[in-house]
Amino acid sequence: MSAPGKTEPTETITRAKAGDGEAWGQLYREYAPAIFRFCRRALATREDAEDATMEVFMKLRDKLGQYDQSRSFTAWLYKVSANHCWDTLRRRRIRQDKETEDVDSVPLEHPDPSQLDRLIEQRTSEEVRKALDTLGARARMALVMRYYSDMSYDEIADALGVRRAFVGVVLLRARHELRRALAGKSLLAAGGAS
Amino acid sequence: MNHLDEMTCLLYLERQLDRARAQEVSAHTQDCAACRTLLRALERESRLLTRAMFEDEEALPARLAEFQERAKRSLQWIWALAFGLAATGAYALYTGYIEPWQVKLEQAGFGGTNLLSLLVFQGAFWKGWQSMITLLEVVALLTLAGVGVAFFRRRIRRSSVLALVLAGFCAVLALAPAASAAEFRRGQSVEVLPGETIKGDIFLFGDRVRIEGTVDGDAYAFSQDVTVSGHVTGDVIAFAHTLRIGGKVDGNIRTALNTLIVTGSVSKNALIFADYANLDPSGKIGGSITAFAQSLNVEGKLGRDILIFSEHIGISGTVGGGIQAKGGTMSIGATGEVDGPVRFEGKNPPEVSSGAKLASPVQYTKWEHKPEYLNKHYYIWRTIWTAALILFGLVLFMSLPEFGRETISAAEQFGAPIGLGVLVFFGVPIAAVIACITVVGIPLGILALGIWFLMLCCAELVVGAVVGSWILGRGGSSWEIVGRMALGFVVVRIAYTFLAQVHVLGLLGGLGIWMWGMGAISLAFYRRFQPVIAPGSPSGPFTPPLPPNTTVGGVQPA
Repeated sequence: MSAPGKTEPTETITRAKAGDGEAWGQLYREYAPAIFRFCRRALATREDAEDATMEVFMKLRDKLGQYDQSRSFTAWLYKVSANHCWDTLRRRRIRQDKETEDVDSVPLEHPDPSQLDRLIEQRTSEEVRKALDTLGARARMALVMRYYSDMSYDEIADALGVRRAFVGVVLLRARHELRRALAGKSLLAAGGAS
Repeated sequence: MNHLDEMTCLLYLERQLDRARAQEVSAHTQDCAACRTLLRALERESRLLTRAMFEDEEALPARLAEFQERAKRSLQWIWALAFGLAATGAYALYTGYIEPWQVKLEQAGFGGTNLLSLLVFQGAFWKGWQSMITLLEVVALLTLAGVGVAFFRRRIRRSSVLALVLAGFCAVLALAPAASAAEFRRGQSVEVLPGETIKGDIFLFGDRVRIEGTVDGDAYAFSQDVTVSGHVTGDVIAFAHTLRIGGKVDGNIRTALNTLIVTGSVSKNALIFADYANLDPSGKIGGSITAFAQSLNVEGKLGRDILIFSEHIGISGTVGGGIQAKGGTMSIGATGEVDGPVRFEGKNPPEVSSGAKLASPVQYTKWEHKPEYLNKHYYIWRTIWTAALILFGLVLFMSLPEFGRETISAAEQFGAPIGLGVLVFFGVPIAAVIACITVVGIPLGILALGIWFLMLCCAELVVGAVVGSWILGRGGSSWEIVGRMALGFVVVRIAYTFLAQVHVLGLLGGLGIWMWGMGAISLAFYRRFQPVIAPGSPSGPFTPPLPPNTTVGGVQPA
């Protein structure tokens, strides 16, 4: 999960690890916008995302010593952010459990491929973002981890605390939830590929 | 033909199938248009998701844009202030107290190398403690200056601030300790002879000490037996078995001894740690008496009040003010006269002679060792106060929701708010009092004290809000935050009710809560005064670090 066209700021990280304030500032300036956007997608409100971004970087300051420089810094940073956001969401357990239970209890619908294709074609990015905001915490988190930060199934399983084999199900359920939000409750329920 | 299920298609697109299964899927999609369409739709859905998440380049909020600089600056500010105060305090302590006393004690034969004797005697000199106010003044002024610089920093150039701070430090360090002439006398029997005048302070060490002449300064006596029959224009500080004041003392007397007898006159106050203290019928103390004694008898004339903790207090003279006494017994004789209220908390009811002249009857409270927590009123009042403070917090939060959120957010950081809280908790009242007396004026001092007190009232609520968010998770809406604050506050109050029964822990817990909460409020205040970067301003040489790898599919379907 390296960033194409972008080299890892190895030297800056080394200096930041050694306590160089300027290097730390450089890392912050470079990565804060991406992490903010990640948190913005994963969490419900802009305020939560701002808080989370600050907290992630404060955590990072303590954890930077643990970072193994043979791995991708960006991937590691997203992993820290994902864990933090998921912890934040998990702390709001009561509401979240309700959401996920509701979603999990809905059986997976089998979409009509043509209808799905048309739906995807017709939707704009803005509509998708709005729909994302209406999803349950776990569904949103899973989609953000996979399609924003490009985390592997193993990393997603680790962050969400589920078995790896279940990650596909989580992602598929999340997509279905998203489609329902995009298309109305039962647009894709009718018909099937078989 | 059996079609592929959606999960298989998704896993295939995401390269999660093993090679054999992926080849099967690939082969199937060569012939099946419906499955190809499904795969294409899923792939487009993935791309749409990625695009949607990466588009909408929201500018980094100003709060985040300034966060790194701010965190850095705020830490620098706190550490600079803390180290500055510590350095100044250490320097002032050494030059103002330790060094001169070391010299004096060496002259007196105690030697500067004996740290214990140095500490014991320095600690015992009450006059020295009084002088500590000077040090506190310096610390408080520096705190005030720090707050002032933080407040006005937007209007002052960095170099000017640096120059100002450096100049301030130079001024403080350049203040030489006041030159003091002191005389030391040691021997079996030490005297200030009649007709002799000592200019400045005098230190007297011996088995017997007599001051029959004049001391134009303070007199310090360490002896078995001390008699002051002359005139001391300053204070008398004595550590002795017996002290007799038969002459005239223009200042205060401060003593730790076995027996004190005052037959002369003391113009100001008396602080007494003694077994037995007696103000004779001919004796007079112009100010008040604060005493911790086994027994105190006032037969002479006292100008003002008595505050005493003793086994017995007897009044047969005149007391110009009131009496606040706690102890075993109290008796007021027929010749006794008290012009103010008398409150006595003791084991036995006071014995008041019918001839005694009292401004009002003695208010007696039976001294019971019943712990506070066994009293039901304690719980009723705590409940009432808890409810009132929650209501207060609710009103405050609804009035200033943004500031409330910032304060709670600041409180979650622990280190900085507690550090700042220590400074604010001690520094602001001192600075405010000094402002009232000397520096800027009464309104500013009163305002600062008012804000300090308000912060003190809110501190527990802030801590409650943090504890509440630990329990229920962070709240989003205002009502959720208020709910968490109320819950956390109740939890803190209950925990503190138990903690308070353990004296030292209760004190430390209370101070900790106050400092934590006050520090968080101060930190939020401080952040409000920070320069704000416009939301649209560039935040650095950022290029999106991660256009994620959205390549899908192992073998692309036809």
